[in-house]
Amino acid sequence: MRPGPARGIRVGVIPMGEETRLAAKVIAAHVEGFMHLESMVLDPLPRPDFALDPQRLQYDAGCVIEDLESRPRGRCDKVVGVTAVDLFVPVFSHVFGEARLGGRAALVSLHRLGEAEEGRRPPPARVLERAAKVALHELGHLFSLTHCSDPGCLMHFTGDVAGLDATALLFCRYCREFLAADGCGQRSEAGLV
Amino acid sequence: MNSKLRILIVDDERIVRESFKHWFVNAGHMVGTAASADEALVRLASEVYDLLFVDIKMPGKSGLELLEQVRQEFPEASVVIITAYGSIESAVQAMKMGASDYLLKPFKPEQLNLVLEKIIQQRRLTEQYRYLKGTLEQITRFDDIIGRSAPMQKIFSLIPEVAASDASVLLIGETGTGKELVAKAIHAKSRRAHYPFVPINCGAMSESLLESELFGHQKGAFTGAQQARKGFLEVAENGTLFLDEVGEISPKMQVDLLRVLQDKKVVRLGSRQSITVDFRLISATSRDLSRQIADGAFREDFFYRINVIQIDIPPLRQRKEDIPPLVAHFLEKLGHETTRKVDRVSPGALEVLTAYDWPGNVRELENAVERAVVLAKSRTLGQADFAFLKASSALAPGACASLEEVETAHIRKVLADCDGNVTRAAGILGINRVTLHKKIKRLGL
Repeated sequence: MRPGPARGIRVGVIPMGEETRLAAKVIAAHVEGFMHLESMVLDPLPRPDFALDPQRLQYDAGCVIEDLESRPRGRCDKVVGVTAVDLFVPVFSHVFGEARLGGRAALVSLHRLGEAEEGRRPPPARVLERAAKVALHELGHLFSLTHCSDPGCLMHFTGDVAGLDATALLFCRYCREFLAADGCGQRSEAGLV
Repeated sequence: MNSKLRILIVDDERIVRESFKHWFVNAGHMVGTAASADEALVRLASEVYDLLFVDIKMPGKSGLELLEQVRQEFPEASVVIITAYGSIESAVQAMKMGASDYLLKPFKPEQLNLVLEKIIQQRRLTEQYRYLKGTLEQITRFDDIIGRSAPMQKIFSLIPEVAASDASVLLIGETGTGKELVAKAIHAKSRRAHYPFVPINCGAMSESLLESELFGHQKGAFTGAQQARKGFLEVAENGTLFLDEVGEISPKMQVDLLRVLQDKKVVRLGSRQSITVDFRLISATSRDLSRQIADGAFREDFFYRINVIQIDIPPLRQRKEDIPPLVAHFLEKLGHETTRKVDRVSPGALEVLTAYDWPGNVRELENAVERAVVLAKSRTLGQADFAFLKASSALAPGACASLEEVETAHIRKVLADCDGNVTRAAGILGINRVTLHKKIKRLGL
């Protein structure tokens, strides 16, 4: 049986840099609205310069996650860091977010979510919606959800922004059941939404 | 096929192994890691992996050397080579050597996803191909009869010819050589294939029981016959009747059967009405019937009636080149029947198996492989897993051995002294003939 947290789970969203405060608020609202978990925006942290790789000029997502996990637990069971820097893991060119299965901390990068497409920058609302989708996907991993084969589910793997936009703000029926078993949302006909 | 894979990451950099691992775990796959090619080979020897991600540049044995070894020793595992920009030539070489794909570091997450989807698709097609190939082989290789030796190939070519006729067949071979399998193959290839194949072990039944089983009986024919019952001669209507250990049939029964074979009519016990029957007879024996004829224990006319076509099945010790394919076949069969994943045999263990004389023939070999698989500690059977073969062949009086080992060795010796005559051996052993037959079967003699 997968280990699952008790009910009454609190999720803290940490803005890492001034420019991520709004995104942090939006993510916290989505966590409450879509996962039925108590969430709060925590005190901001500075940009994670310690994780900068001078050769790649990107930030190592693994280092940032380790730093977030090493911090005192406080009142939150899970934390989601939000940063504007470009994240990578050693084998990948970049990542939108990162989390370890069943871990305590997840990370979301806004860097590539707002990149211009066909010469036009996407509207801020779309960037924020993408950030919320990445955050909910990574939070799913923190609650031991693996990637889902349903292309309409938030836990389905998408590697580009077009894929993110095509994904609905929904967990599929099976992922909802798993989350409900872990104390997120309510198990019902209508699921978690 | 399950789309969740067992993946082994082989890279000398811990951080690379870890980042791969986290991504694959998040995707729901089972992941193992190895820091070198040698460590990967150790892991592959004990665990099954579907897919390997191998870094091309590693201290010690390189990724390409590992790829070569994996292709030879674990061909069922797919290998994806990871390489850096600038070493594209090595990646091309890896593809020529049999890698499933390659990735240039660093790559986009969706590229890894595409590679995984491609591998899952490839493996699904391979599984389907194997299944269909296995189904085809089952049709063409006469079920479980395995053999690449010349005498077995001769038997394989004989089976379709024999099957085409309706002549009686006598199969001669030691216990455990696969006489029943040959009989089944003849039946399966004959026009009677869609009708029953009825096997009867004549040695395992007393005379009166055999008579009742073969001929059937009317209600009230004897005490306990509360209902009329068809005999096997009737049950085999349009099909094949296989009389195993035909040399054990009493002279009286031989006369009765001879009449059935001549007239194609049976009369149930307690009845006077004859019933016309149509079946093909295949008999088998491990005994020297001509000697029994000379001793007056077997009727010559009955012998000629059942021996229109004779097929001699050689003992395993005379066709040792069949041992490796037989072992591979038993491992595959056991893999389907049990949850244990043991799918290879070391060259040393094969030497032990080839050196052994196999008095119990293929049945003893199957039992030995099953015993080794059940007790195996890794997926490869080694010499130590077959140590019991040496123990049983070198069993000396007074040696420390289990009761079963002593019993096996003693029965084997008495049977050899009696030239395989079960009745005489049972007399010497002081047990019933039927009991001895049961023991022979149980102990794989």
